[in-house]
Amino acid sequence: MKKIRVGVIGAGRIGKIHIENLCYRIPGVEVVGVSEAEAALPATKEWAAQFGITNVVSDPAVLIEDPNIDAIVICSPTNTHADLIIQSATAGKAIFCEKPIANDLERTREALEAVQKAGVKLQVGFNRRFDPNFKRVRELVSSNELGETHIIKITSRDPEPPPAEYVKGSGGIFLDMTIHDFDMARYLAGSEVTEVYARGAVLVDDAIGEAGDFDTAVIVLKFENGAIGVIDNSREAVYGYDQRVEVFGSKGSAVAHNNTPTTVEVSTGEGVFTDKPLYFFLERYMDSFIQELQDFVDAVRGGNEPPVTGDDGLQSLLIAIAATKSAHENRPVKISEVAN
Amino acid sequence: MTEIIRVGVLGAGRMGKIRVENLSRMPGVEVAALATPYSSEIYEWARSLGVPKVTEDANEIFQDESITAVAICSPTDTHVEYIQEAAKRGKHIFTEKPIANNVAETIQVLETVEKAGVVFQVGFNRRYDSNFIKIKELVSSGELGDVHVINISSRDPARPRIEFVKHSGGMFVDMMIHDFDMIRYLTDSDIEEVYAYGGALIDPRIGELGDVDTCVAVVKLTNGAICTIDNSRETHYGYDQRVEVFGSKGSAYAHNKTSHNVVISTKDGVEKDKPLYFLVERYMDSFGLEIREFIKALREHTPPIVTGSDALQALLGSVAAQLSYKENRPVKISEVV
Repeated sequence: MKKIRVGVIGAGRIGKIHIENLCYRIPGVEVVGVSEAEAALPATKEWAAQFGITNVVSDPAVLIEDPNIDAIVICSPTNTHADLIIQSATAGKAIFCEKPIANDLERTREALEAVQKAGVKLQVGFNRRFDPNFKRVRELVSSNELGETHIIKITSRDPEPPPAEYVKGSGGIFLDMTIHDFDMARYLAGSEVTEVYARGAVLVDDAIGEAGDFDTAVIVLKFENGAIGVIDNSREAVYGYDQRVEVFGSKGSAVAHNNTPTTVEVSTGEGVFTDKPLYFFLERYMDSFIQELQDFVDAVRGGNEPPVTGDDGLQSLLIAIAATKSAHENRPVKISEVAN
Repeated sequence: MTEIIRVGVLGAGRMGKIRVENLSRMPGVEVAALATPYSSEIYEWARSLGVPKVTEDANEIFQDESITAVAICSPTDTHVEYIQEAAKRGKHIFTEKPIANNVAETIQVLETVEKAGVVFQVGFNRRYDSNFIKIKELVSSGELGDVHVINISSRDPARPRIEFVKHSGGMFVDMMIHDFDMIRYLTDSDIEEVYAYGGALIDPRIGELGDVDTCVAVVKLTNGAICTIDNSRETHYGYDQRVEVFGSKGSAYAHNKTSHNVVISTKDGVEKDKPLYFLVERYMDSFGLEIREFIKALREHTPPIVTGSDALQALLGSVAAQLSYKENRPVKISEVV
């Protein structure tokens, strides 16, 4: 098996997970180097040493220009993604990039053009597509077991709100949080969204409202194939990460429930208790983080298309932008209205 | 011994039959008359339950002074006339929902009823379902904290006859009205604005009538909470009736009820029972409880928990949803009053 040599840009929370998975859980891969901001360099060097990674640099260009590297995994802050994609594409590298490509259309399109021009592979980190629950629901849709899709219902709630400081730079709930659900809705429906209606509210934390964002939201999606989607989001579910989907079709429905640490049920005089959902995305989606990189590495090695493309990144961004506009203007917004 | 309450029932369709059966079993209550178009089967059925008078003429009920209460279970387009007739003669009224398919008539009827000073209850039976009563308790006691999101899935097992659709007033008025009432019941808050979208995804003939068979609504309440409702006219797997309330302190989820809870595991997989088939199976308990409350209300002079004003508010939700769907924009309730 041909060894795929990878450079990872950014060793924050998600970068570390990818590095660890690439080193331990995905066969036929070598992490050749890691780049991280100057300030965090010493700590990152120390952390990387446990995986035998000695090439830790502050300048990502060192990895991008390295002829020994086949693929770049981008896990740095969002505002650096587009530039790094363009540089990596120009250098002929295959690219895995965390979502979103950028928070604005222009930068996203520039990055995608560079990828297309260079003819390199790009996979966007919509990890939830690789979750076994949602994959199973998608299979049921693809195999027509549920018939024609009529309603897609997604509940997606975080266990705790982010700091208001984070919210300010996040692009807003629809770009930061719901974008995952937009991708999930497209993935499950196998159809494009044509129009969005979004309603937001500040019910969890006033500081989020003061930062100009919402912490609670409900969105209606209209699909090209006639199906209707409905998403509800909250920044704070006190009982954990609430991640459920349901597809209802002409022949029946499929529901994916939350995953829990155990399936033990305890009955006492007080009542019957089961585990709360797994706490947050690290716990809930660990399998999917491994699978998405495995599929990326397979695509790089085998020459097939990555399972989540740059266009998927663009489409979800378009929906998120339309939702933001819809929530602020309180009217349904067509995707075509924001695409130009 | 308390005085026997003599009730006249109008209509012997699916709901009328259930009402007659429940009332005739109730101590201190007598179904004095049933008015319904002639059918040998129904007339025999009524007599077998001991109903002394079965007639085609509703006036025989209204003119009978010994009948002090009516249960109106006839088609929606007769409700207004029957309610007004009963109110004028001082009879207490239980009516199936909706009072009428339009706001003006509903308001007019409510004025008549109020003037007559009779007990008036509308058949939003789901308020009497044990699952939803429990969720309401959790909201009222503050156990879920402030309500942020409500999700309601409400789907019928099989599409209605196309003839029914023609006279139904449309899916938003006929079907989603129950969900608007459920939201108001659970939160004690009013609907402020509705956005609705739908399509004829099941039966194109429903689309040709200008109606939908699949729809979703986003509802904003005056207390700030946001709700979603999704409706379908045909599930194939039974009556899908679920409610979730999500609040600042946690969430409560009411699953479907099933006829048994046996889980069967074989080499083909793990299987459990489908939801109870339709309203007769799913909501039988609630039909009994609501009619009991009606009788209690007129015997003890306590107000019923579903008032005429509740029926009007739910209808306003439906009318706003219909307009929203037609014009593809959010519609404030204040716009349709």
